[in-house]
Amino acid sequence: MKIITISLQIVILYIFSFIGTAIHNFFHLAIPGSIIALLLLFICLCLKIVPVKFIESGAAYLISILMLLFIPTTVGIMNYPSLLSIHGALLVITVLLSTIISIAISGTASQFFEKKAQKRKDDKECNKFSSHSA
Amino acid sequence: MQQVFFAFCMILLTVVVYLAMSKLYKRYAYPFLLPILTTTTVIIIILVMLHIPYKNYMVGGQWVTSLLGPAVVALAYPLYKQRRFLMNYLFTIVGGVLIAAISGMVSVGLLAKLLGINHTLILSIIPKSLTTPVAIEVAEGLGGNASMAIFGVMIAGIFGAIIAPTIFKFMKVHSPIGRGIALGSNAHAMGTSKAAEYSELTFSMSSVAMTLCAIIGTFLGPIIVWLFHF
Repeated sequence: MKIITISLQIVILYIFSFIGTAIHNFFHLAIPGSIIALLLLFICLCLKIVPVKFIESGAAYLISILMLLFIPTTVGIMNYPSLLSIHGALLVITVLLSTIISIAISGTASQFFEKKAQKRKDDKECNKFSSHSA
Repeated sequence: MQQVFFAFCMILLTVVVYLAMSKLYKRYAYPFLLPILTTTTVIIIILVMLHIPYKNYMVGGQWVTSLLGPAVVALAYPLYKQRRFLMNYLFTIVGGVLIAAISGMVSVGLLAKLLGINHTLILSIIPKSLTTPVAIEVAEGLGGNASMAIFGVMIAGIFGAIIAPTIFKFMKVHSPIGRGIALGSNAHAMGTSKAAEYSELTFSMSSVAMTLCAIIGTFLGPIIVWLFHF
């Protein structure tokens, strides 16, 4: 029974993915079809056009086996034995350095934004301009 | 008929090796035993030993890959579950993720150019800070290679999760929100599992940042490539 529910819900996700791809092809967008579909589903969920019940088991299941879905693509690395040479090492160094730089910048920036947002919220509360709960 | 049977065998091989490696990882949780690394290695060794080219393996493998599209769509579900959280910190999250996506893509592109890495490879590793299924699509859209894209994503994820605590200490990033955003938007799923070790808030931040970064990244990727002539 559970398997049928999950399969049917994955079919729904497939339909969304198909619509996204169709939009992508029709308007020649640079954004991948599946991301268009993600946004579309998110909007449909928020507007209650699609009830969460219709997709939640299928979505949770797919996300839980996400790693498995990458494997055939990662196996494709076997076509690039050159990765074990100096080129591969340079590639790894590039990604490592960039990750360090980006974590440092984004961590600091986010902390800064947070303090700013907090300060603005505090000011607002002092001025009694708004009373909406945080 | 034979073709169908062969395809079925390849799917079975993928699933069985994956399940075995996941079990191994559950028992010994070392980063180098991550199922994606071990499963890929074991399957490559089996294919090479049996003289099966990648093209033939993909006759079955493509069926597994075809589920990636709906899997990306499925990411809307966790984002929806955390929509209140997202709205509460909208300014901070969007600002932080935007900075992370820009700095990640620009720095990797510039460094790669500096080190003389070839054009297709640069385009493949530009989306390295996006979650894998999205990174594959972005890389292919830019003219890169899917397998290389995953290679870049894996390195960024594993290494990012390992090095992040040191960077936080060094840069004095103490807030759970700052840490969560940095982890989720640079080291995606691996970073998010690391974020879970800090606190519930860091974890929620990280998972929202991961999904948002994937969405923002797909828009930014082509713009940055065009601006910097990567």
